[in-house]
Amino acid sequence: MITCGIDVGSLSAEAVLFVDGRLEAYSLIRTGPDSAQTAEDALNEALIKTDLRREDLEYTVATGYGRVVVPFAQKNISEISCHAKGAHFFLPSVRTILDMGGQDCKAIRCDKDGKIVSFLMNDKCAAGTGRAMEVMAALLQIPLERVGPLSLESTKKKPVKISNTCIIFAKSEVLALMREGVPMSEILAGLCDGVAERVKGLIRRVGLEEDFAITGGISKNIGVTSRLEKKLGVKANICFEPQIVGAVGAALFARDVLEKRGRA
Amino acid sequence: MKKGKRREETAGIANDFDKCDALGPADLVWRRHVTPAGLVETVIERIEKDLETRMITAGIDIGHQSVNAVILDQDTIVSRATLVLAGEVEAAAKAVLERVLQQAEMKRDAIARVYTTGVGREKVGFADGHGTEMLAHVTGAHRLFPAARTVIDVGAEGSRIMRCDANGKLSNFAMNDKCASGAGVFLETVAQMLRVPVSEIGHASLKSTKQVVLTTTCAVFAESEIVAEIHKGSSKEDILWGVHESVASKIASVVKRVGVEEEVVFTGGVGRNVGLVKALEKQLGHAIRVPEHPETVGALGAAILAAR
Repeated sequence: MITCGIDVGSLSAEAVLFVDGRLEAYSLIRTGPDSAQTAEDALNEALIKTDLRREDLEYTVATGYGRVVVPFAQKNISEISCHAKGAHFFLPSVRTILDMGGQDCKAIRCDKDGKIVSFLMNDKCAAGTGRAMEVMAALLQIPLERVGPLSLESTKKKPVKISNTCIIFAKSEVLALMREGVPMSEILAGLCDGVAERVKGLIRRVGLEEDFAITGGISKNIGVTSRLEKKLGVKANICFEPQIVGAVGAALFARDVLEKRGRA
Repeated sequence: MKKGKRREETAGIANDFDKCDALGPADLVWRRHVTPAGLVETVIERIEKDLETRMITAGIDIGHQSVNAVILDQDTIVSRATLVLAGEVEAAAKAVLERVLQQAEMKRDAIARVYTTGVGREKVGFADGHGTEMLAHVTGAHRLFPAARTVIDVGAEGSRIMRCDANGKLSNFAMNDKCASGAGVFLETVAQMLRVPVSEIGHASLKSTKQVVLTTTCAVFAESEIVAEIHKGSSKEDILWGVHESVASKIASVVKRVGVEEEVVFTGGVGRNVGLVKALEKQLGHAIRVPEHPETVGALGAAILAAR
């Protein structure tokens, strides 16, 4: 049984191929201006890593913000369901999932079967999303992946306070801090702490039940995840590639459809 | 108070009244000879009141991006200036004050009092006092438009909506300084993206022929939406009108929190943007009056506060 899950997000797109319930291959690319083309590119990139051809795909489910325009998908399912299902696949004991994506942030509660119980999301404001991190990394002229490690080099007990919520205002605040000669690591510590504080509120509102997992691009930022763990007092589980969790969920939903069909 | 009787009782008591001479109104000089101690108080009060109305004051508004100053001589604005905020707040305040003095060909000691307002108002050491932006904008707007009851101030980093009564007294206000989606910086960013000078985006938006709707709240997300619109081939004018409608809707939601009463006056530098004013008029269903120099209304208000 060969199924495919495609997650077309606002900043990145992922394709995942499942063969008989096993994760066979995946791809991770940057979302282009054309969502349909992005989905095609992601799928092709995943297929190259296998002996499979497009015709071999039995069922494809699309998710993410561009899910409705994926031309080759038979079905589309919301990214919240897919993240819960995907996280449950990697960690069956998971009950609370934080998906920190490029343009939104969702706190999801699920049951023992990986089904959603409740969720909360922020998709209105860039503060606390991957986008905010990108904007700041660009402003400070450092690669995105250095943000987390550098922020941990801060020696201060209390991080610099970035008082603005809005990332556009925070930019001028950060520039002012740089002019004052505040070291880069301190500024980054303040930024990561701000993001952690913001999502902490979201998790508290949805209610935290262990085990806790983080998915999405920001979970690769150790500066945010380690601070969040400290604030929440729980361990955050992060799988080997947190950005494909949504696509994995989609591929699993595709498998469910085929299994149901087989039984009928 | 029985003035006549008192005057009789204590007539002839002379007082040290040199201040009077400096002022020199004839009736006060005359009173100097006849006024008793009890009446001296009232006379001094009158003199000081006279002094106040004759006082030349300055107001400085220190915003996030610009500093504005006004010199006020009674009811007349002697000069006004706007500078881009660069470096230290105190230095910027000094620079803009020097500019208005120079324009008015005045010396610093001609100014009796300097009041500041705006975000940096407390950081100016040489100021004699300061007032909140809310108070300054309402006071300034009410002086220019005595019928003003609602004042909308939109600056670089936020908006403030004030309500006032017939005397120009601040009665209620609401503000948004948390989110750039209803602020001037967002319009500036869009202007840069579309390569249209920021002073022209308002006029350009009025030439829109097709509707472009921006759905996101956040200004950062709106940037990617605008990029998508550019890729789709939407015209600059249409995108600009869509942006103005989006910004106006954010401001309108704050306005609705305090309620609208006519007349509505728009202050702050963003008031120069005709597109935004038009979009806001449409959303509020009220005509909006914009002073000739909307960016200096806060400074004018501060100068009036200094004279009080």
